[in-house]
Amino acid sequence: MNAIEIRNLTKSFGSKQALNGLNMTVPVGAIYGFIGENGSGKSTTEKIICGLIHPTNGDVKLFGKEYTDADVRAKIGVLIESPGCFRNYSVWNNLMLQATNLGIPNAKEEVIKVLKLVRMEGAASNKYKNCSLGMKQRIGIAMALLGNPALLVLDEPINGLDADGMRIMREILLDVARNGCTVLVSSHILGELEKIATHYGIVRDGKMIKEMTAKELDENCRTYVALQTGNISLTKSLLQRKYARLEEDTENRLRIYDGVSPEEIVTYLYQNGILISEISTNKIGLEEYYIDLMNEKGANVYGKKF
Amino acid sequence: MEKNFETNTFAKRIISMLKVDARRLFTTPLFYVMAGISLVIPILILVMTTMTGGGEAATAGFDNIWQIFGSVSNTTADGNGATMGMDLVSMCNIDMMYFAIAVLVCIFVADDFRSGYAKNLFTVRSKKTDYVISKTVIGFIGGATMLITFVIGALLGGKIAGLPFTMEAFNAGNFICSILSKIFLVPIFVSIYVIASVTCKEKLWLSLLVSFGVGMFLFNIAPMVSPLDSGILNIILCIAGGAMFAVGLGAISNLILKKTNLV
Repeated sequence: MNAIEIRNLTKSFGSKQALNGLNMTVPVGAIYGFIGENGSGKSTTEKIICGLIHPTNGDVKLFGKEYTDADVRAKIGVLIESPGCFRNYSVWNNLMLQATNLGIPNAKEEVIKVLKLVRMEGAASNKYKNCSLGMKQRIGIAMALLGNPALLVLDEPINGLDADGMRIMREILLDVARNGCTVLVSSHILGELEKIATHYGIVRDGKMIKEMTAKELDENCRTYVALQTGNISLTKSLLQRKYARLEEDTENRLRIYDGVSPEEIVTYLYQNGILISEISTNKIGLEEYYIDLMNEKGANVYGKKF
Repeated sequence: MEKNFETNTFAKRIISMLKVDARRLFTTPLFYVMAGISLVIPILILVMTTMTGGGEAATAGFDNIWQIFGSVSNTTADGNGATMGMDLVSMCNIDMMYFAIAVLVCIFVADDFRSGYAKNLFTVRSKKTDYVISKTVIGFIGGATMLITFVIGALLGGKIAGLPFTMEAFNAGNFICSILSKIFLVPIFVSIYVIASVTCKEKLWLSLLVSFGVGMFLFNIAPMVSPLDSGILNIILCIAGGAMFAVGLGAISNLILKKTNLV
């Protein structure tokens, strides 16, 4: 059974088509990284899953049931845009309200538990409005974790967090997933997402263009040798004679994708009188894979037209 | 992995929702501010309208304390029966509290949407009925409290202003029935304000505008169905009307929440 199964989902706001036949499958227990440009339809999809907006068309199933099913919906934790707290209430009171709302029998114990989980035990009495951005995001996660949800929907939870905040958030999400909760998380910070996600979905213009597991991403990611020399153009022409898959990156380095060893390249260039100033073996990460994928599809990534 | 989801009964859902809203109502400063205003307003009205300037009343005001609670069914200050006039006595009385209730209800509901709390709430609650019922009940409690504080404030104000407490054409029983009738009219107004608020969501100014606008039409019914010489029948009429309107208008609010996007 899948935690989320979406088929041919469409949503239009007036004349604007936000989702255009989106399909999505999130297995139970996965940490699903939901990736796409701004306005690609990530938040709209998440809001539909949470029942906050209505789809124009399509089929959305959560744990095999309709997404409108009250019993399934009661087991969703959500952090979309903001944590949904009252500014003048303390962290404790905000969490207690949500715990009461969920009808949790031992509300106090549950609130203490989630506060510990998000490393916020010491800040329970702080007023929400006095909390830092990182703390607010963690309160949002704590709120979403109340009642031991089966599905956690997080919209860019690591945006604006410092390095330590990101690390804490990463640990929290891994903890949550270990406890059997399915996590759907959208983010633009792909490096962070890569560290935790077990599955990925890349969306563009309201359509899912790629769904894969972390293992598949690993297989898709190409290993390459990057090198720098004093004479790039001569080096390039020499290497082109021997290696087919070669390109120059934005930092004036040459990349060779033929699965060749650095030693072989060093020897070959040395024999041709070229001295190498820097050489390394690298792997394309999620970010580069994403940019490459968007490049293939002609998208505008990071403001650069490919 | 098979997931089992336990079913929440209607009673369980409504109790938890009511607990949340009651906790919010009684911990929000807004409620106490509104109750305070309801207490102070009648004191100010009665004291200021009976202040004397050079031996004459500064404003054509109240002849006795009971006028601030309305009039008997066949005579009013302007002699036109228990309907609304445009004079001070007809406008500045307990019925204007129905507008103050709009402020309480609209801010209360708009806060849910402005804070993002509605997102958390409606994600885990697909049944919007709980929300509408809870808001109506809590709005009723808040509104009733405001009316009661107004009564206390008016009695205090009357004492301070030295207005006569003599009852003509009605007795204390009628007066209690009148106040109870007014309290049981609150759900009608609250239901309207809830509709306006769930339609306008985080746009507080718009929900207030709509609430005041629609409330203005119903403002006239209050003195007619709850005059000072009210009896048990008036109470029954107001309970029945309040319940019917609350259910009918609540169904409309429920429909609006179901059919519109919540964020």
